[in-house]
Amino acid sequence: MRKEPSQNFLNRIRIRKDLEKLTSGALSRHKGLEDLISTIAALESEKQSFIYEWTELIARSNNELAAHFICKSPNAFSHMELEGVMSWVEHAVTTFDNRGLGFAIEALEDVGAFASKFASRSVQCEFEATSNFLRYFVRGLGGRDLRVANDRSTYTDTESLFVPDTLEIFPVAEQNFTLYKLIAVHLWAQTWYGTWRYSVVEKLMRHMASEDVIPVFNRLECLRLDACLARDFPGLAREFDMFGHTDSETAELWETWRSRAEPLLQSEATAEDSLRLLSEFKDLPLPSLKHYQGEMYADKVRESLSARIEREKLEFQQAMQDIRNAPNAENDGENGEDAQKQLLELMMGEEGGEEDSELNFQLTMGGNATNIPDHLQDLIGSILQDFGEIPEEHLRPIDLGQYRDELQPQNATGEDGNESESNPIGAFKYHEWDCMRQRFRDDFCTLRELPVTPGDESFVEETLNKHRGLLKSIKKTFEAVLGESRLQRRQSDGDDIDLEAIIEAYTDFSNGREMSEYLYTRYRNQDRNIAVMFMVDMSGSTLGWVNDAERESLVLLCEALEMLGDRYAIFGFSGRTNKRCEVYRIKDFDQAYTLDVRKRISGIRPKAYTRMGVAIRHLGHLLHMTRARTKLLVTLSDGRPEDYGGYKGKYGIEDTRHALLEMKQSGIHAFCITIDNEAQEYLPHMYGTANYAVIDEVHKLPQKVADIYRRLTT
Amino acid sequence: MSTSAIHTKQSVVTDEPYYEAIADEIDVFAAAYRNQLPVLLKGPTGCGKTRFIEYMAWHLKRPLVTVACHDDLTASDLVGRYLIKAGETVWIDGPLTSAVRNGSICYLDEIVEARKDTSVVIHPLCDDRRLLPIEKLGESLTARREFCLAISYNPGYQSVLKDLKQSTRQRFVALEFNYPISEVEQTILEKETGIKASVARQLIKFGSMTRNLKGNGLDEGASTRLLVNAAKLMNEDITPVVATDTAIAQALTDDEDMLQAIHELSRSVF
Repeated sequence: MRKEPSQNFLNRIRIRKDLEKLTSGALSRHKGLEDLISTIAALESEKQSFIYEWTELIARSNNELAAHFICKSPNAFSHMELEGVMSWVEHAVTTFDNRGLGFAIEALEDVGAFASKFASRSVQCEFEATSNFLRYFVRGLGGRDLRVANDRSTYTDTESLFVPDTLEIFPVAEQNFTLYKLIAVHLWAQTWYGTWRYSVVEKLMRHMASEDVIPVFNRLECLRLDACLARDFPGLAREFDMFGHTDSETAELWETWRSRAEPLLQSEATAEDSLRLLSEFKDLPLPSLKHYQGEMYADKVRESLSARIEREKLEFQQAMQDIRNAPNAENDGENGEDAQKQLLELMMGEEGGEEDSELNFQLTMGGNATNIPDHLQDLIGSILQDFGEIPEEHLRPIDLGQYRDELQPQNATGEDGNESESNPIGAFKYHEWDCMRQRFRDDFCTLRELPVTPGDESFVEETLNKHRGLLKSIKKTFEAVLGESRLQRRQSDGDDIDLEAIIEAYTDFSNGREMSEYLYTRYRNQDRNIAVMFMVDMSGSTLGWVNDAERESLVLLCEALEMLGDRYAIFGFSGRTNKRCEVYRIKDFDQAYTLDVRKRISGIRPKAYTRMGVAIRHLGHLLHMTRARTKLLVTLSDGRPEDYGGYKGKYGIEDTRHALLEMKQSGIHAFCITIDNEAQEYLPHMYGTANYAVIDEVHKLPQKVADIYRRLTT
Repeated sequence: MSTSAIHTKQSVVTDEPYYEAIADEIDVFAAAYRNQLPVLLKGPTGCGKTRFIEYMAWHLKRPLVTVACHDDLTASDLVGRYLIKAGETVWIDGPLTSAVRNGSICYLDEIVEARKDTSVVIHPLCDDRRLLPIEKLGESLTARREFCLAISYNPGYQSVLKDLKQSTRQRFVALEFNYPISEVEQTILEKETGIKASVARQLIKFGSMTRNLKGNGLDEGASTRLLVNAAKLMNEDITPVVATDTAIAQALTDDEDMLQAIHELSRSVF
């Protein structure tokens, strides 16, 4: 027998001891342990530490499972690379969570089967992995802000693009990825090149038996859109040619259609032309859909189209009204319909004609070009996508009756005012801005500070565990903030000589004056004199994911802020009507981050509505009373201000905006982090263009909140 | 004795810098200059603020002093300091002081980056007094008629610590800059780099795509400067996609998904 070096022997003993300890002895019950340990000892150190790490993790849930994992891991490494093994063990842990130990062990035993499945998976492209890219890409193409989501069938309702869960049509993963891109582009093209213009949808729905014609329309439009895309995006056209179809029969059929639909390939062709050609193509054999082509559901489009038209019409009219009412508007008092039409003449033209289909518009008021605010520009863009022009109807001055619903007067004694003022003691009274009357309602809101029912402390542990990687990187970046040391001049002692001070002292000395003794420079950490108030939305709409994400963000932030040493407070807010506004004290400025605070964070639960103005006033007041050079009020929210009885739409937004202006006057900076997709419409108005961030996916909230906080305060 | 100190560039602009007027900013600046009003240039990075100032210096035939502000820039860096030469202390004018004495245009780039104490010297210089107090010399300089102070500021910054104070901003005539509309931007690209019109058009289309992404994963879209950079690379026979990747995408973000999206957007246009 070959004598083995004693180091190897010691190494094996160490590994065995470590692993047995990690599994609390469960490993020692397994057979063939000696061989197993030798195999593990022979693995590369990267793989060894992988086994250690995962053993420790799994053992936290179950020692037996951890031991099984150790036994199977060398086998797994012989089948797969690190990435595959990771996926295998993750699969087993998920199985354990969902179905228990027996199934989880089975999942571990099945290494071979898993490995072959994993190999085929590397060809697939999954939506999860591409969703960010697709969203950015579609956003970059321009037009209305479209959501990208996954669904069983591929289509668009002109608000969202629905793409499949996974794609494995092509043998290489990169090709499937490209196909994802092409699918998204093609759906986007439907919204951009007018497939779903209002007039087209109406004709399709009203005058044609849609079941038979939609497939024909889909194929004709595909030809037209392909031509449009080829003109505007030469790079994409090459890929469209390659990825359209894989068999020659389909290709031939498409070629026949293409040659017969010549007019659709011209740059001036519209969806109306496709409609006109329907009867001619109805009886031809249908080619099967191209790989990148989706289905068409005219009814779904119509549904979201009509909702959007109504909404945008009101918004547009309101925006026009606001521009007219702005103090620098040149006309005053002329309210005749003609004068207004003249005033708000919308000039639009197709820029560059055929070569560039980008829409260009300019708003003129009394002959002078006005700068169009971003959100209005987006709104006009979206309307143009639906109509190709701004319809007459939109330009008509607003019928004030339409807003009655939005602008309900706030009756202190009305139905909603009947909420009993159960306990006037300990209540704070605040005013509220009434944008209809353009004045304050004094002492209109009654607010109370309430305690939070403490929740389960394990939530904090779980969060820290779940996001431990993220927490590490957050801490690292925050450390960097802290580490930013500054050179302090004119110190009585320090690391280096302050040349400037010496020269000055020398001058003084030569002139017969007394020399200064402050002649050194020293690096010292910057004094962060910041107080920050986190105002957390606890309205009913946060139920579920948003609430979880809010609490997780708070846990991570607290950990990081403890390190920075910034003074911070956390309050939740909610309420129902002006008589029962509530804020929930979770952590005060002077409170330490104790177990109780953690329990309270975990106890944050959705309550009622979002009356934001009064909460901002109250918490702003608390912030104002603390001593700090920089004061920051950060709101975490999932949507616009809304409360029972009229506090919604414009009224709520205007009151909130007013409360924020009051904060600004007292030297408090406000910032809003929100998860509302439509937030772009009102947040700039409320918070100012640079003072908000919209987070599109809830699970990113914890990371983004920390990121934003760091950016805000450095 | 007065010499220019570090961090500065004082120059007489002899050749006409290329500048494409977007609105009436040239007239406004000239009028402000005649009335001895200081000017604040607001706008995102790379939209032509510095080029505009160079152009105005040439147009008004005044020397230009540019100071790039940083977070250790103090008032004495602007005003001046004593140095020792051969056992004697000698006063050296700072860039601001020499501009005040010579009647130059002094341009403080990214003023919010500077230390707060700089406002002490800027404020009296910006109202009708037009005085520069030099504490260490025990004197106050009155600015020459030709002197003009211009500062720049990017309102897109989100840090609350880097906000321009009301007391400072309310002393200035403010000119807002933004990325030019596509026709003007195309002219700029063609004239600045000599690139072909068709390529310039594609590049601008790509630029507007990245600007669509502002607020949706990007802090800023591609500035005119970045487009010019990319065009210059293309002139050297770098392929368009590589040029936009290196000159634009990598300059805008580090996010993998975003880089890929910008890369694919570029591929779709060229």
